[in-house]
Amino acid sequence: MNKSLLKEKLFRWENFLVLILITEIIIFGLLNPKFLQSRVLLGSINDFISICIISLFVTFVFITGGMDIQAGSIVGLTSISLGVLWQDAGLNIWAAVVVAILIGAICGAISGFLVAFTGVQAMVVTLGGQFLYSGLALAVVNLSSSSAFEGISGFPNSFIALATSKTLGIPNQVIVFLILIILSYILLHKTKYGRYIFLCGINRNAAIYSGIKTKLIIMSTYILSGMSASIAGIVLTSYLGSARADLGKELTLPIITAVVLGGTSNLGGKGGVLGTALAAVVIGIMRFGLVMAGLPTQYLDIPIGTLLVVTVAARTVSGNTKLIKTIGKMFGKA
Amino acid sequence: MKTLKRIFKAREISSLTFLIIMFLVVGAVNPAFLQIRNLFLTFNGSVVFVLLAVGISFVIITGEIDVSIGATLGLAAAVSATLLRGGSPWIVALIAAILVGIGVGLINGIGVTVLRVPSIIMTLGVNGIVRGAIYVYTNGKWVENIPFEFKALSQASIFKTVTYFFFCTILFMLLVHFILTKTRQGRHFAAVGDNMQGANLIGIPVDKTKVIAYIVSGIFAAIAGIVYVSRVGFVTPTAGNGYEMKAIAACVLGGISLAGGVGTVVGATIGAIIMASISRVLVFLQFSSDYDNTITGILLIVIVVADSLIQRRICEKARRERLSARTLSEVGGKGDE
Repeated sequence: MNKSLLKEKLFRWENFLVLILITEIIIFGLLNPKFLQSRVLLGSINDFISICIISLFVTFVFITGGMDIQAGSIVGLTSISLGVLWQDAGLNIWAAVVVAILIGAICGAISGFLVAFTGVQAMVVTLGGQFLYSGLALAVVNLSSSSAFEGISGFPNSFIALATSKTLGIPNQVIVFLILIILSYILLHKTKYGRYIFLCGINRNAAIYSGIKTKLIIMSTYILSGMSASIAGIVLTSYLGSARADLGKELTLPIITAVVLGGTSNLGGKGGVLGTALAAVVIGIMRFGLVMAGLPTQYLDIPIGTLLVVTVAARTVSGNTKLIKTIGKMFGKA
Repeated sequence: MKTLKRIFKAREISSLTFLIIMFLVVGAVNPAFLQIRNLFLTFNGSVVFVLLAVGISFVIITGEIDVSIGATLGLAAAVSATLLRGGSPWIVALIAAILVGIGVGLINGIGVTVLRVPSIIMTLGVNGIVRGAIYVYTNGKWVENIPFEFKALSQASIFKTVTYFFFCTILFMLLVHFILTKTRQGRHFAAVGDNMQGANLIGIPVDKTKVIAYIVSGIFAAIAGIVYVSRVGFVTPTAGNGYEMKAIAACVLGGISLAGGVGTVVGATIGAIIMASISRVLVFLQFSSDYDNTITGILLIVIVVADSLIQRRICEKARRERLSARTLSEVGGKGDE
């Protein structure tokens, strides 16, 4: 029994991801020795922090059996709202940050309400949300005195420091990411609320009959994902030093890749935050390393897309013994 | 009479009513919108979306999804534009584009059926790969200097109102509609989408049908790519970015259910015309076309939610009627004893 337990622990998906991560770092280190400097390695998170933050909480949505393709557009809406609140409404920057997170929560709540209470597919609602929130971001730009192309800049130093300075030698963005990992891990894996989320995804009817308010639980996951998107928007604004409406537009593919690569099923009921966090870092390091190795950024979708398709295919095929047998037969004949 | 009743019960009719009401309202605010010339400009401008929506409706009707058509459009447009610039006749460019569409569709189809990758994930990944392939193919540069004769094709029109492109697209769409609703093969798509296991049990080749649906979707996206080249006159590496979402939205607006099995390509066409005319409508209402996405999003959510609530009420009513009919007949049966 001990042996099987050990085996189970050894062959966990998370360990496999750690293995990929180490291989990645070694390969990129060989390609470009600069890559291995801790300053560079830790600093690389600047490039993919938003993927990490958002995918943590989109995992919640996936576990309830939902789908969230709107998170990217909330990033842009948050960023530009933050800028307008600060520059044109004259709010204190930290007050603006709080309002921006609230905006993200409201965006998530609207979609979550529609998904949970009207029975429309999550894909359709969040597709509508994607249009709506990216459109609203443009509408907010019109409220400001700056044009959409230049964005809003000139934030106070204390706000810029949020993403650019270090605490105890660790970049603040890494700290934000670690805090959110711990928070989401406790929320999903250690609380009653987290168990309810899983139950909603495994068997919604059973959850209803056992007295769980599934509608509220499902709605809350969208609120969390909306809030995480706005946190990502704030961190990104702080890092870039300017608020723009078009931030986060290209995030949908990497976010979903991170969640699925992390071992969360898109059918719900299965998954975990640690896997997602690792997968997000795997993807981020891959993007960063490939760019350092000299690949143009526009090509990055090819390896990411391949990674997504291949992992999911490998996972489903390895679970399908019949297919393996047929493939084995085909090779046996040849 | 029966056909008339059936027509009024069709889901597309609510989309069509919406389209007409939208046009009338805009016409009331700004009569210039209802000029025949302008209406046809609106219709002619929707060709790319109509083609995309008709193609993707095959996939959606089988209960799957395809978010790779935007990139497919881009790649097909880039390939055909390069060929045209090199002096190839348009038929060669068309065939090359269609081959691109078939290729991407085949990959999607095999991934979804043989490898059993969930369709949203498979096509999302393929979307990224194909989009990257456009950059590789064009080196990130624009494809410009398309021959003038080819660009002029998009302006050529019958009676100076309907362009040949729009006319052909509608003919094509009606043909597809006929195939989907009246032929045995065509009905397979809806059968697979409605009840996959049931379809499998009565001997419909489920996997094959799905692969064909993806290939059709790819081909339509490729043809849309050719039309795009002719209309726009140049191809950027980001051509067609985000069009997949607009095509899906068009299908949903046209009454196609993403759960599969329900909907027609006529609906998809009406939805696509609605989608394409929103930005034009905004201009005539003297709004900034920046609000295009906002309106689209609100429209999509409102229509879908309303539809879902109405459907639920109808189901509920039917259930209650069945229930009361059953109790009545049981009471009647006892009386006979």
